[in-house]
Amino acid sequence: MNVLEVRDLATHFFTRDGVVRAVDGMSFDLAAEETLGIVGESGCGKSVTALSILRLIAPETGRIVGGSVRFEGRELTALSDKEMRAIRGHKISMIFQEPMTSLNPVLTIGTQIAENVVRHWGLPWRAARDRAHEMLALVKLSDPRRRLDEYPHQLSGGMRQRVMIAIALSCDPAVLIADEPTTALDVTIQAQILDLMLELKEKLGAAIIMITHDLGVVAETAQRVIVMYAGRKVEEASAEQLFARPMHPYTRGLMRAIPQLDADAEVAGRRPRLHEIPGIVPALTQPITGCAFAPRCRFATDRCHAERPRLTAPEADHLVACWEAQRVLEAAV
Amino acid sequence: MSEVPSLEVSGLVKHFPIRSGLLQRQTGTVRAVDGVSFAVRRGETLGLVGESGCGKSTVSRVVLKLIEPTLGKILLGGVDVTRFSPGEMWPHRRHAQIIFQDPYSSLNPRLSASTIVGEPLENFGIATGKQKDERVAQLFQRVGLRPESIRKYPHEFSGGQRQRLGIAKALAVNPKLIVADEPVSALDVSVQAQVLNLLIDLQEEYKLSYLFISHDLAVMRHVSHRIAVMYLGRIVELTDKRTLFSLPLHPYTEALLSAAPLPGPAKRKARRRILQGEVPSPMRPPSGCHFHPRCPYALPACRSIDPPLIEVAPGHWAACLRRPAGGDPAPLTPTH
Repeated sequence: MNVLEVRDLATHFFTRDGVVRAVDGMSFDLAAEETLGIVGESGCGKSVTALSILRLIAPETGRIVGGSVRFEGRELTALSDKEMRAIRGHKISMIFQEPMTSLNPVLTIGTQIAENVVRHWGLPWRAARDRAHEMLALVKLSDPRRRLDEYPHQLSGGMRQRVMIAIALSCDPAVLIADEPTTALDVTIQAQILDLMLELKEKLGAAIIMITHDLGVVAETAQRVIVMYAGRKVEEASAEQLFARPMHPYTRGLMRAIPQLDADAEVAGRRPRLHEIPGIVPALTQPITGCAFAPRCRFATDRCHAERPRLTAPEADHLVACWEAQRVLEAAV
Repeated sequence: MSEVPSLEVSGLVKHFPIRSGLLQRQTGTVRAVDGVSFAVRRGETLGLVGESGCGKSTVSRVVLKLIEPTLGKILLGGVDVTRFSPGEMWPHRRHAQIIFQDPYSSLNPRLSASTIVGEPLENFGIATGKQKDERVAQLFQRVGLRPESIRKYPHEFSGGQRQRLGIAKALAVNPKLIVADEPVSALDVSVQAQVLNLLIDLQEEYKLSYLFISHDLAVMRHVSHRIAVMYLGRIVELTDKRTLFSLPLHPYTEALLSAAPLPGPAKRKARRRILQGEVPSPMRPPSGCHFHPRCPYALPACRSIDPPLIEVAPGHWAACLRRPAGGDPAPLTPTH
């Protein structure tokens, strides 16, 4: 069963340089208790997709210009602000890259967790504080009783992210959106936080949308993965399929551009060249006709430049938006 | 090995005082770098890897005397520059340049690209006038910037192009050593690959030495010849990259390698060992071996004895009591 269904979502920002088409027709489903990874480089629209689901786009800069977001059968884009507030942090919650800027520096940790529980569950403060204590123990913060009365600046980055997770999960959400939750953390702390998120997901049964630029992080956490480029979905598959048989030239390029940590990369003592994706991402201020990746793609034909590729499924449960998918598949990697 | 290393440091220490109160009395010390020794050979990339606060960036600043060392010795191309005044240091600067993580904050926003790259040529009296312009154009071409972009200002370049500009500027004076402090960490994967390839090509072309600082193990493995792993101001392991990744000796190196996420679910490690706890503060480093509170293999002695970096096997240095010289390199058995 799907908890979340996004269809043709388009979010634009209105800047002095013109209209930025940050999300340009995104569709996907999120099944209950599933972990979906959304991966892509800076500016591909992965974070704006998340913010659009929660309707957190600042109205003075941009807005959702089209499409639909259905959560448990309700159309989120049509809700009033008040109705939306009852969903945020309750049914759908979100954690961000930099926990220090998302936590209130002048409130104690305990107050910030309890606040959410009081608002959404209507519990009295005393009971909400007990819930806060329970949550801090759940995210394995040492000495949770003492932490309740501490302030964010007294905690390390990894501990702050644990607190963010505690707040986000405090009202048993159906969906947790994690936007680069470990990007600001060191690799040993990242491993701890990812491990914790997966463990809690099992325990609490929330679905997770994991947004990241790091293919390693999606590979270790996600069951299904969406690859975004220039505001569009270019590929979607199970994590196993995506890494075993990437189909879109962009996905393939990305995978070959990362230095390999495990492979015996050096041939006869020489360092091999990394695969380069020529050029840079297109400016989103101009409408893109055809495939957004075409200018950087060695498989591109006239049709790719002229006509936007439809999503097709060359194999079961594997979607790709590429006119030349067959040729790409046949080409040696 | 008769060649003089491009850079050699021994017993390098940098302590930062912490001052507080009205009288700014010193109330503590941050032991950012706490006794570090290594050499970067000619044409070699020595990688310095570690997590935030391990002191790797401080090392990069101290070896170029951008900050003064507290103790220790720095030899640049065989010349002891440790006690040099800024004036005495000046002629040596042309042999050692630095590239930063964020080229935007290290390039003057009011200067055009051609001025940024041409300035060091004038400063060191290498070229002026028409000759300088030719050299700048040549450098632009070499790092892959379009000729017409010489009139642009830093904000008009993309992140990857800005890093190319930073590289052109560092390269202008024909240095022997380039210190690269997280040069690709701010870049997207597809652009990162372009910059890493460029750095490797330039190294082979000009026989450059790199002291390459990064927190990213995969990048490290790709660019380095040898790698030093730092933890809380000290080098805990140093060896060639192949050995480091296949046969790590120090428990911290082992934990670091096992924590790095691998791209490919098939590669997902069977129940990896996740290191508990966090890096302690360099203001109050643990006694003995700095890593002992988090180490699954720690012995009681690790709490009091500070293990020196010793050559456990030829070319393979580690600082761990459980790794004696000539000892068995097999995995250790946890003590708790």
